[in-house]
Amino acid sequence: MSARIAVLVFPGTNSEDETQRLLRDCGGDAELVHWSRADSLAGYDAYVLPGGFAHEDRVRAGAIAAHDRMMDYVIEGAAKGKMVLGVCNGAQILLEAGLAPGTGSARRPTAAFTFNGPQPHFICRLVYAKLAVDPSRSPITAALPPGAVIPAYTANVQGRLAATPEHMREIVEGSHVAFVYARADGTVDASAVPNESALGAAALTNKAGNVLAIMPHPERDGWNFNHPQRQTGDDILAPSGGAVLFSSFVEAVNR
Amino acid sequence: MVDERLRASLALRDDELTRIAQELGREPSVVELHAFDAQWSEHCSYKSSRHHLKALPTSGPDVVIGPGEDSGILHLGEHDGERYGIVVAHESHNHPSQVVPFEGAATGIGGIVRDVLCMGAEVIAVADPLRFGRVEDPDSHQRYVARSVVDGIGAYGNAIGVPNLAGDVFFDERFDDNCLVNVVALGLVKESEIVHSFAPKGAEGWDIILVGKATDPSGFGGASFSSVTLDAADEDANKGAVQVPDPFLKNVLMRASYRVFAMLRGLKLTVGFKDLGAGGIMGCSAEITSSGGYGADIDLDLVNVAVDGMPPEVIAVGETQERLIWVLPPEITPEVLRIYNEEFTLPQIAHNARATVIGRMTGEQQYVLRHHGNVVMDVPIDFLTGSIKDDLPYVETVRHEPPVDELPAVDVATLFPKILAHRDVCSRVPLYQHYDWVVRGATVLARGTADAGVLKPIPGSRLGMAVAVAGNPRYGRIDARMAGELAVLEAVRRVAAVGARPVGLTDCLNFGNPRKLEQYSELIGAIDGLGTAARELGLAFVSGNVSLYNESKSGVAVPASPIVACIGALADVGKVVTPGLKRANSALLWIGSRELSIGGSVLAELLGMEGPLPAISYKAERSAMGILESAIASGVLLSCRAVSDGGMLTALARLAFDARLAGRNLGAEIDFGNPLCEAGGFLCEIGDASEIDVTGTMRVGTTSDEPVLTVNGTRFDVGELFEIWSAPLREIYP
Repeated sequence: MSARIAVLVFPGTNSEDETQRLLRDCGGDAELVHWSRADSLAGYDAYVLPGGFAHEDRVRAGAIAAHDRMMDYVIEGAAKGKMVLGVCNGAQILLEAGLAPGTGSARRPTAAFTFNGPQPHFICRLVYAKLAVDPSRSPITAALPPGAVIPAYTANVQGRLAATPEHMREIVEGSHVAFVYARADGTVDASAVPNESALGAAALTNKAGNVLAIMPHPERDGWNFNHPQRQTGDDILAPSGGAVLFSSFVEAVNR
Repeated sequence: MVDERLRASLALRDDELTRIAQELGREPSVVELHAFDAQWSEHCSYKSSRHHLKALPTSGPDVVIGPGEDSGILHLGEHDGERYGIVVAHESHNHPSQVVPFEGAATGIGGIVRDVLCMGAEVIAVADPLRFGRVEDPDSHQRYVARSVVDGIGAYGNAIGVPNLAGDVFFDERFDDNCLVNVVALGLVKESEIVHSFAPKGAEGWDIILVGKATDPSGFGGASFSSVTLDAADEDANKGAVQVPDPFLKNVLMRASYRVFAMLRGLKLTVGFKDLGAGGIMGCSAEITSSGGYGADIDLDLVNVAVDGMPPEVIAVGETQERLIWVLPPEITPEVLRIYNEEFTLPQIAHNARATVIGRMTGEQQYVLRHHGNVVMDVPIDFLTGSIKDDLPYVETVRHEPPVDELPAVDVATLFPKILAHRDVCSRVPLYQHYDWVVRGATVLARGTADAGVLKPIPGSRLGMAVAVAGNPRYGRIDARMAGELAVLEAVRRVAAVGARPVGLTDCLNFGNPRKLEQYSELIGAIDGLGTAARELGLAFVSGNVSLYNESKSGVAVPASPIVACIGALADVGKVVTPGLKRANSALLWIGSRELSIGGSVLAELLGMEGPLPAISYKAERSAMGILESAIASGVLLSCRAVSDGGMLTALARLAFDARLAGRNLGAEIDFGNPLCEAGGFLCEIGDASEIDVTGTMRVGTTSDEPVLTVNGTRFDVGELFEIWSAPLREIYP
């Protein structure tokens, strides 16, 4: 029997359906769990926090959601080694909950995804996230090839990694930057970074590697039909592109 | 007699007031006055347009539901033995957006989304045709409007998680005092599970349930405010008439309603569900009950309000956002209340938001409102909601400018870069990058990457849906009737250019003051034009909206702006025509009219010329569609663009730009009489022209593996053109 994945729906979440669908298409046993059913979260083996505007992004993106009752279960589960994946708003919540980079204690964030530069605007565009650590650094990336380049859509107002110099040093020294922005061919340079994110970071992981917080959405470029230009006669309904990360996550969950 | 100050706040005319008093046999109450003021406003009643709109074709094989409910529905296709429909609604939020642009535009999205939702549909996309004034001056109100409208659309649409799939934007001085913010929303519904905007048979005694935001004093007088000319002196009152958006609450409200739909499916129950728009609780409850042949008895004390002590007319007629009304048999009311209030915790999402029973449907033909134990409104319901009609004078407008005898010799080398940098032609990326066009993970062709946006809306199915909008104000300035025809043709061509079969239309008619002969005649002419084009192409309008009084106090009306959206269906989304030139040495074919008039073109504007709009040949149009279809079916069509603003050369440049963006450095050499003319048609890249019947097409050039466009001997570097085209709007939308 495969492990059960909960896709958390906070008030204001908006990407739950496609997140659940891609997890299922990648072989995961994923179910939506709404905030009024928070109690049932203890019974799941892994947690996925999808994109959106949980609790209206009040105060800061993810700040209120990090204190939602649902996060009690995620924090407890992460400490026990359950796999936790947060995408976009889900990633922001994981940072606010202190689970990524996880260099402090729970609900005492040491870094944030905050307002984009140079303009603090919502930006939607196709980007590429390149695996910046050894695949084995995190069970969630273990099935990816070294240096994997994953297409994904950035779609946020607050996606720029920021932290104090001291915390930034911990992030670098602990190899917490799991993905950086890159060009389609894998070249890493400033022009590939859509928001002036520190270290060009697109995703952070925690020390144990069981938590991954990624800003761009792999699930929005998750099937062949999402990228007709790159189609090679494959089944348009099949997972592809960003799905490799979800597949790797599902493998980690089922391992 | 009606109090003088109250009288002055009403848009009702004296003759209408007299009629109301006569029918009631007494002076109307304050609540009744406000109710009739809203319900009989142009905005709600379409009193000066409805009888003309009847001329539009509204039925056909692809029409599931035509105009009459909150949205129309078009047949998309079948999957797994189920028929699927696309729910289509189109509306304007022009007046509010001119006064309070961020909130005005955001509530425009919010309102149209509810129109789609209440048909039992999942909301799958929005599109927004925008018309702004001159934005060159960074400190101008026009610049502020143009920016804030885009921010408002983004803030709302992004938060509720609906992709922005199509749209357009034009800038013209005649929109200086009246911007146009049109919004299209699309939904997906199984045709067997449609929820209607009226109460079904046997619904006497059913509960009327109000759901959503607590009623507050915002948006009081919104319907009548949209039905008069904007007056700068009334700025404060106007601002109060604009509603306050809450996309966060809407996000939850949508998801909770999806849950209610699922519950109703299990019960196989037919019920009514309707959006609260103009006229608030009164307008919505009166329409949902009267269209089923019932009356209503509502206690305003049961309404969940944001502040105590609101007068009954504000509770009844105010247009607080994010509210809908259900009519349901009482036995399922508790479960519906539980879903909204407990499972989706509405009261915790926004102050005093909830679902609550406010009254019941009656068998009598009266509309009754109670407040603090008193009856504050008691009128015959059909009199309130029945169609009233203003027969206003109009003339046949024929406004063709004298024909231009000879096209001028055009210096392509100088003019082409200017056309690409023109505000109506240049890249829209700086604008729509602020919208989320990929949420839901169903996007196939994203906003702005092709002539139409394409979605694959049904998981597991190969069915695709395309949408495109059109409505060129330069055409509207010259000839309203032809502007209507050309809006249909352009929207249809755009959908066809991505390989979709056009299945239906929706329109929003944005015009000036119907009480001015010329402005009203433009409206009638445009409706005629829309009808002609739709009939010629075998398409129907399934929904639409009329926005009048888009006229400034100084008497300047917007250019005639019939704006059309076309919905297309793809049986297999894998066959979509993808953007950009594909390879060197393919043939470039021009399919379509050869009429080389320059009237209404960007070229004419740059040259300071006038001329008639290009003549329309429906025979040529149908034949072009046929050729395109067969080229797609035989697999020889590699890429395609509908020719519109900026002419064929702009279409070619876009094909080269899209190839460049996809990493293919390609160019082309073409030889063509006047490549800057905007005669409508398609520019197609064909792999093997021997595979199709090319009668009626014209070979204009060949693609090459050098990123250069050679036009009648003049060479343009694709990279340089791309930069010229990309830059202009970056200043407006950083």
